[in-house]
Amino acid sequence: MTGWVYAGSATLIQVVTVGLGGPLLVGLMAKVKARAEGRVGAPVVQPLRDLRKLATKERLHARHASPVLALAPVVIVASTTVAVAISPLVSTRPLLGSSADILAVVYLLLTGSAAAALGGLDVGTAFGGMGASRAMTIGALAEPALLVAVIALSLPSHSSNLPRIMASTLAHPDWVLGPSRLLALAALVIVVIAETGRIPVDNPSTHLELTMVHEAMTLEYAGSELALVTWGESMRVGLLFSLVANLFVPWGISTHATVLSVVVAVASLAAKTMLVALGVALIEVRSAKLRLFRLPELLAGGFVLSVLAVVTGLVTR
Amino acid sequence: MTLLLVALGVGALAALAGAALARRWRVAVASTLGALGCVLAVFAAVTTLRGGATTTFHSAQVLPLSGVSLTLDPLAAWFILVSSIVGAAACVYNVGYAHGALASRPAQSTFMLFTFSLIAVPSASNITTFMFGWELMALSSLLLILTEHARHVEARSAALWYGVMTQLGAASILLGLLLVSSHGSAQSFAAISAHAAGLSPATRSLAFLLVLGGFASKAGAVPLHVWLPKAHPAAPSSVSALMSSAMVAMGVYGIIRVGQGLLHGGTVWWWFAVTLLGVVSAMYGALHATTSNDLKRLLAYSTIDIIGLVLTGVGAAGALKDSGQPMVAHLALGAALLLVLAHAAFKGALFLAAGAIDRSAGTRDLDLLGGLIHVMPVTATVIVFGAGAIMAVPTLSGFSSEWLLLQSFLHGFTALSTPVVIVMLLGTVALALTGGLTAVAFVKVIGIGFLGRARSEGAANAHEASRSMLVAMGALTIPSVFLGVAPGLVGAWWERAVSLALGRSSDPYTPSTGVVLARLGGAIAPAAVLVALIGVMSLVWLLSQNRTARHARRVDAWGCGRDGQTSRMQYTATSFAEPLQRVFADVLRPQSDVEVTHVVESRYYEQSLSYESRIVDVFEARGYRPIIGWVLRAGGAARRLQNGSLDRYLAFGFGALIAILVVG
Amino acid sequence: MTSTYVATLELAAGAVLLSAVMTLWRRSVSSIVAMLRLQGVALCAVAVDLALHENDRALLVTGALVLVVKGVVVPTVLRRVAKWDPRSRESRPLVNVPASLVFAAGLIVLSYVVGTRITSLSPDDATRLAPLGLATVLVGYFMLVTRRRAVSKIVGLIVVDNGIALVTFLLTSGVPLIVELGSSLDVMLVVVVLQFLMASVRHHSRIDALTELRELRD
Repeated sequence: MTGWVYAGSATLIQVVTVGLGGPLLVGLMAKVKARAEGRVGAPVVQPLRDLRKLATKERLHARHASPVLALAPVVIVASTTVAVAISPLVSTRPLLGSSADILAVVYLLLTGSAAAALGGLDVGTAFGGMGASRAMTIGALAEPALLVAVIALSLPSHSSNLPRIMASTLAHPDWVLGPSRLLALAALVIVVIAETGRIPVDNPSTHLELTMVHEAMTLEYAGSELALVTWGESMRVGLLFSLVANLFVPWGISTHATVLSVVVAVASLAAKTMLVALGVALIEVRSAKLRLFRLPELLAGGFVLSVLAVVTGLVTR
Repeated sequence: MTLLLVALGVGALAALAGAALARRWRVAVASTLGALGCVLAVFAAVTTLRGGATTTFHSAQVLPLSGVSLTLDPLAAWFILVSSIVGAAACVYNVGYAHGALASRPAQSTFMLFTFSLIAVPSASNITTFMFGWELMALSSLLLILTEHARHVEARSAALWYGVMTQLGAASILLGLLLVSSHGSAQSFAAISAHAAGLSPATRSLAFLLVLGGFASKAGAVPLHVWLPKAHPAAPSSVSALMSSAMVAMGVYGIIRVGQGLLHGGTVWWWFAVTLLGVVSAMYGALHATTSNDLKRLLAYSTIDIIGLVLTGVGAAGALKDSGQPMVAHLALGAALLLVLAHAAFKGALFLAAGAIDRSAGTRDLDLLGGLIHVMPVTATVIVFGAGAIMAVPTLSGFSSEWLLLQSFLHGFTALSTPVVIVMLLGTVALALTGGLTAVAFVKVIGIGFLGRARSEGAANAHEASRSMLVAMGALTIPSVFLGVAPGLVGAWWERAVSLALGRSSDPYTPSTGVVLARLGGAIAPAAVLVALIGVMSLVWLLSQNRTARHARRVDAWGCGRDGQTSRMQYTATSFAEPLQRVFADVLRPQSDVEVTHVVESRYYEQSLSYESRIVDVFEARGYRPIIGWVLRAGGAARRLQNGSLDRYLAFGFGALIAILVVG
Repeated sequence: MTSTYVATLELAAGAVLLSAVMTLWRRSVSSIVAMLRLQGVALCAVAVDLALHENDRALLVTGALVLVVKGVVVPTVLRRVAKWDPRSRESRPLVNVPASLVFAAGLIVLSYVVGTRITSLSPDDATRLAPLGLATVLVGYFMLVTRRRAVSKIVGLIVVDNGIALVTFLLTSGVPLIVELGSSLDVMLVVVVLQFLMASVRHHSRIDALTELRELRD
């Protein structure tokens, strides 16, 4: 395989893996939670079935909606897809890998969140505004922890380029258990829980409007647009879980152009993200949803952990 | 240089036209001449930035004492580019915007003077010319703030704050410059620069601190910012755009020119102070931007935020240069310069759009707007692009400059000296803390102001702005997008400007659309990301369209089973920002009053309920008000000396004469 | 061998500071005490690691002492104190939790600034970690100042003590056994006195937020 073909096919495989794997991870978490609570639960593929069904249903728009309502889901899916395509998830050399900068990925995800919030505000109901306001607040509080944790990770390799960070971790296995890494991991787990809207930050399966965050923003969506929003959200889950897994344990990722290495990479990515999902599901089972105004404590904790990670990294270098 | 002189000449003509012509022709002719002059200045700046030689002009006839002296070098050219791009747009905007008091002779000619003083300041190369340009800029903008004082009462107090702060700042700058010049008894910048190395470190530090105070106040750095969120919103929007994008940049220019150019960098503590100012401003500005409801006030606070980030870049560059990492220092200053230019473009467009809204809906209070996307689609698009750039959406200009800034911090961590590492750490934290807050602020602007339903008569009956206003806003959006998609194309330009300030060349920029840091490592390719984004978006759009009916069915919005929701049930700007306001209550100190009136018959039923919440600037309330109180009391005490009796005044004069004789 | 030594040392020192921050973060007294236990164990790990690396038998004994006193006895006593109180939460600290966490981040940066100046005198694997110990002291002191409840204040005091112990371990590779013995016993004494004090105060007034004790003077 030549370089271009390899990079192109790796990118495509990444997008497909996360596009299908994201909903499956969401299904897996629901299943684990159900089992832990003594229920049977829906099958793991249920989210994919839901998407397929939604995609064929009629689109409904509220009377006062503007074109933003229809545009927002497209932006959500597109920004997440591009973030998936440029990140090193299956291969360390995807197309555009050179611009696979952490900052680019973070701000692409932020673009998606902003689009979702605008979609929520477009109809002009109380719920949409409430969800958008809360989601943006949580995002704004999680952002510092995310960026500083990422800086902590990029300190040893002096690069914010994701493939470079992973390559230098592959070259120095002893970094994995360093205190700076572990602290950054803890901070990132908090951020990922906040960004993917899981308990204790948000309850993805709530049916009570007043406690909703993400669900309140999407109340006005139906049919294929709801499918897009939900799909974008599960891709974001897949992307964040894969990034956490690969940043800390990159082994298994494909670094050279052979079919076998790509197959191994997809399998190991699936295994690693399933482990992350299992962990997050267990956290969800074990904890209660926090009140909105207790969230700053959690996220400030994440921020301190990430500052701690940077300082420890500076001290121990 | 000839081109720049012609540009300034055309500017003078525009001011004359504004002062002389009859009402019918005044605005159109002055604006056309003004825009022409600005475009000429853009060409002059670009010629120098593309590698043209540094040129100077000196004339002893125009100004007394030292004469006018202008120099067009790459650093000056960069800032001339900043002000002339916004200036051109503001002049075009002026055609459709100037009405009433703003269309009067004094206002039009002052507006032109202000626009061209912003081009003259960076090109000045001796103290007299510089201070002349600086005062012209300050006084003309002060007058312009007052043009609408009949309509906005708060403009008077804003002008008072602005006048006092700007004159104190100018005095501080003049003192600082005189301090360095008096030793060499020369007042051209070149002579000062040559003599500066021989000055004692204490003199240089004192001079830098004085100059920093003045320039930082102009740039809106906290705690010297209090005038900015009052003055920028009070001015007419074409003036606000110039003030908020070009005039604050002059503060940054001054810090770079004096700190690096004239005083050659100094010590790491200078730049530590600059970074600290930047970090505090960035966080404070971002926080207040999220909780402001007045659209122009929100934009003004967001200017404080962005200029704060610029100052962290300038500070980082100084600290890194001092610690012997010139390559990273170049990167940091380059990022700061790019951010200044990008900010000028998007903030200019945002302010112009805010003016259009104010004009058409009759209010700029977000709590009274809503649904404007239906009636002002073009303005809405401009706001979306501006907000996207300021939120650092990848492929827009905010992203490329913030990425460069983060790269410089990241590589700066390799420094061995602890203060430098702390500068990097502070800068990183500022960048991290402001990113999310800025997103909240601008999602609020779009979501509350443009989406949803109209919250007032004015917003419901608003109409699209006039054509010249739309052209101006659209024209400013183009550089904002261009700098995001292809920042690499102007890489060589900012590299020349940075090299002039810091000396020595650095990591060469490969000419491509993206930015590739060959020696330091790191790259972005926004153009490719943009292509990918557009590709995926159209793909998703096509796929989702094919499956179902072309038009979505219109239904009522979900209201928990309640029919007929009104626009008053929407979230407002206040409620949108309320969670964050509560989280940061310790910093913002919001004051709220709830007043409940009960029905006469029973106190279990309420007749009316009023809620009021306001956020005062903590620095103003805690820092400035007490000082003003002292000054007023001192003034009151001094008044006792003055009782109107002629004898007493003569006695004062006599006493003073005796005192001088005795002391002398 | 050396790299395992360094890795363990970094990890253990990081854990000491982390548990100090966690005591600020968590509200329920039982989890704060659990963090204190973790801190004691991590501190012991630092001592043992240093002892093994430098073949210092006295330091090994100190490590064991630290484990017994700070890892087992003190947390157990505190836990018992906490159990008496059904509302065992730090409900209204003087500085709210997010603000104190952000302040803690500032303290950590500050100790990095100050600490590197000290450690640059003799940089080796152990001394360059000293800023972490300094940060632990500052965070503990901050907790001592801002928390209202008696138990939390004691926890702050112990965190300060642990931080001082960490700094001395790292800088001088261990204090003389007798000094550590003395300070550990001091802390234990304070905790035991607290236990009696709390018991009697509870008996008389059912108040245990120390800021409210001002009223008892009258």
